[in-house]
Amino acid sequence: MRTFNPEGHTAQAFDTELNDVKHKVMTMGGLVESMVHNGLEALLSMDESLGRQVMEDDHQANQFELDIDEDCTRILARRQPAASDLRLVIAIIKTITDLERIGDEAEKLGRIGVKLSSEANVPAYYKDLRHLGEHVKVMLRDALDAFTRMDVEAAFHTAAKDEAIDKEYSNFARLLISHMMENPANISHALDVSWCARSLERIADHACNICEYVIYLVEGQDIRHSNLDEMRKQLL
Amino acid sequence: MTEQTRQTQVQAMSDTTIRVRQSLKKRYAREKRFRLFGMIAIIASLTFLAVLIISITIRGLPAFKQTFINLDVTLDAQTLGVDETADENALRRANYNGAIRNSLLELFPDVSSRKEKRALYSFVSKGGQYDLQAQVMADPALIGQTVNVWLPVGDDTSGYLRGHIDTTLPEKKRRFKDNQIAWVEELRSNGQIETRFNSTFFSRGDSREPELAGIKGSLFGSLLTLLVTLTLSFPIAVATAIYLEEFAPKNRWTDIIEVNINNLAAVPSIVFGLLGLAIFINFFQLPRSAPIVGGLVLSLMTLPTIIISARAALKSVPPSIRDAALGLGASRLQVVFHHVLPLAMPGILTGTIIGMAQALGETAPLLMIGMVAFIVDVPTTLTDPATVLPVQIFQWADLPEKGFVEKTSAAIMVLLGFLILMNATAVFLRRKFERKW
Amino acid sequence: MNKENTIPALDIDQQTPNEQTIEEIVASLGDTVGEARVENPKMSVSGVDVFYAEKQAIFGVDLDIANNEVISMIGPSGCGKSTLLRCLNRMNDTIPICRVTGEIMLDGEGIYSKDTDPVLLRARVGMVFQKPNPFPKSIYENVAYGPRLHGLNRNKADLDDIVVNSLRKAGIYDEVKNRLDDAGTSLSGGQQQRLCIARTIACSPEVILMDEPCSALDPIATAKIEELIDELRENYAIAIVTHSMQQAARVSQRTAYFHLGKLVEVGDTDTIFTNPKHELTEKYITGRFG
Repeated sequence: MRTFNPEGHTAQAFDTELNDVKHKVMTMGGLVESMVHNGLEALLSMDESLGRQVMEDDHQANQFELDIDEDCTRILARRQPAASDLRLVIAIIKTITDLERIGDEAEKLGRIGVKLSSEANVPAYYKDLRHLGEHVKVMLRDALDAFTRMDVEAAFHTAAKDEAIDKEYSNFARLLISHMMENPANISHALDVSWCARSLERIADHACNICEYVIYLVEGQDIRHSNLDEMRKQLL
Repeated sequence: MTEQTRQTQVQAMSDTTIRVRQSLKKRYAREKRFRLFGMIAIIASLTFLAVLIISITIRGLPAFKQTFINLDVTLDAQTLGVDETADENALRRANYNGAIRNSLLELFPDVSSRKEKRALYSFVSKGGQYDLQAQVMADPALIGQTVNVWLPVGDDTSGYLRGHIDTTLPEKKRRFKDNQIAWVEELRSNGQIETRFNSTFFSRGDSREPELAGIKGSLFGSLLTLLVTLTLSFPIAVATAIYLEEFAPKNRWTDIIEVNINNLAAVPSIVFGLLGLAIFINFFQLPRSAPIVGGLVLSLMTLPTIIISARAALKSVPPSIRDAALGLGASRLQVVFHHVLPLAMPGILTGTIIGMAQALGETAPLLMIGMVAFIVDVPTTLTDPATVLPVQIFQWADLPEKGFVEKTSAAIMVLLGFLILMNATAVFLRRKFERKW
Repeated sequence: MNKENTIPALDIDQQTPNEQTIEEIVASLGDTVGEARVENPKMSVSGVDVFYAEKQAIFGVDLDIANNEVISMIGPSGCGKSTLLRCLNRMNDTIPICRVTGEIMLDGEGIYSKDTDPVLLRARVGMVFQKPNPFPKSIYENVAYGPRLHGLNRNKADLDDIVVNSLRKAGIYDEVKNRLDDAGTSLSGGQQQRLCIARTIACSPEVILMDEPCSALDPIATAKIEELIDELRENYAIAIVTHSMQQAARVSQRTAYFHLGKLVEVGDTDTIFTNPKHELTEKYITGRFG
């Protein structure tokens, strides 16, 4: 496996620009991570104010996306990066799109959390939802870690978790359906919660995308839409 | 950046400014002084040049004028000693001088003593008879008739007419006596004395009589010598330069050759004269005083000059042109003859003409090979005895007659004129070839 | 995992050559990465070493040049890319101290063999130089020189045809058709370079070598030349040495990266510029040295 960008550029300003934008992506990742955490928490512990805060944070995430996009455009125009630098910029542009989407999903969690915060009692399936949410959060954190460290191994490992989360999501969806059949009065609540589960599943998908970008960035191989295991064997 | 560091920087900057400003005055003063020296040097050299040219011109200009005396010469057969039926040889040997003397005596019938007669006869140059001879030989029917001719005056008379003779001196101390002055003044008032352009100067060879001496002989000698020099040195030098610059491998031998060529350019020219004497005349038995030997010697002398300038011209052709032609598949010879040589030609021609000018002005080596002889006839072939302009000047400068002093300066003017012409040609050629593209 | 990339860290800065001789560094570079060979190569370079006197400038290069393809040679200054290019039509012959060993084939025949005449070779392998170098003659004469030299024309009309066609192929005909008798040097830099290309084409070469053809030109002239190179690809094999990586990326199909006289990596231009395999290529392309 190759090491990534061990030395600085001849043009040091280029290094600074790349580092700045990488740093911004990490900050944005941290923000989005906390949004997911807060959104889930707002929903599960029926904390209305936390939900509103998540909705606020989404603007910030959007702003990050715009900023970083602009930085990347500037780098492309001024530095005409090639090879690893080019892949880094491309990966960043794609990553922030996914991060922004994750932010949107987290905002959805928060909004539904606000909507459902007036419910009297905690539904039984919240326990399963928390379980799903914890897994998604771990996956997102691992994906962002892999990005920060440019760690292909970790990226593969994290991307592989997506399948388990998909399974967990479909299990949870089945659980909700059976719940709805048992308690038709609660269908609207259950539908909202099903949206939340859907959001969590989407967040895991985006996290998986980020892992793929990391692999592209480091190895120069686009592994999207191909068999993960085979690619892994080939690259590692 | 902290406030403090910024301040120190600003201070450092202003320090530099102050120091630079202080040194500026000195620097500008130095520059002004240097320019002043340069200007003084140029003015000094221009002054010397002007003095040289003006003095030569003032001294030489009179030589382009010649004074003539108008005489009615009676060509009676008795005086001449021939009649109309005489053959060419007899006509040539006829006593034209007697006819001229008779006509002079007719003008001044009072003159009787021998001394006075001789003074009178000196009015007409000894060359006058040749003019008359030429007329009669062209038309023998003139014998027995009286012709009106303009004949050149003698050296002393001409000197008096130009004011070279100080009439305030006592008569004994001058070459031109009082009675002569009276006669000349009489002739002048009769309109029988006239000053005209001196065509003799350009149409005659050397002579012992200043009024008859011309530069045609030495001019032709110079031209023939230069012709030999040019036809020998130009092709040899260009071929050498091309070989050394374009084809020769760079090794110790070519280095030695290069050093030697550079040294040859600095060898005193008299050495070439000795060489020519030893090789061309003593060994090859070529005739002395001949333009061909002079040309050979001068070729040896100009070769290094032309080679060096030709090499410089070839070197200055940009290598990209060579690359371009080579890249298209031209052979090395084609590269040289299609591209490099035409581009270098103006430079080579300039060098050649400068070398030729140098050869034209050269005296010393030609002295060694006998081109310093007194030669009256105008040379027409390469083996005729001849002399060249600078040697002619050298010879004339040795002679005491007033007329030769003038001629010396006039010949110098002609020589300088040729040099200027050649250099102008060099400039013109360079301009013309360079302007083309 | 790419085994080729596990090379020791190199002293890239040539400031301290005493510690490692060039030979040692070159040896540590390992084998050339990527496929140097193509099917049906027009020219084929095998194990070529080039020496200037005792100093070795090129170390065992293998490289193929294919028909209808532009191959660009890139690398830091003094990496031997121009030297190799000038070996391909024996322009190095003019440098007495230059010695070439190994084999370079044109259509399967060794160009350094005794039977090959360098003059004929240069007619088949044309060259365009860094600085536009038209002859100080008319535009017409510039283009007509090569054909006349090789006797490619039977009469004046033939020659006219060749000149017009060459100028047309070089995309400069419309700009100069009314002033073919003007001096070639009176054109602008970009036009001069296209005139030089026309001059090369006029000899109907099979391979065109270009030694940094745009380094003296402005961006618009450069763009025109690049477009021209792309058009010429249909009929010729083209090798171009360039200092501009962007230019290499734009005009070429294959790219070869040289370092200290060694062919480090060669491959599809797309791959080289997005995902080079060798660490040095990566560093050079991303601007980390050179």
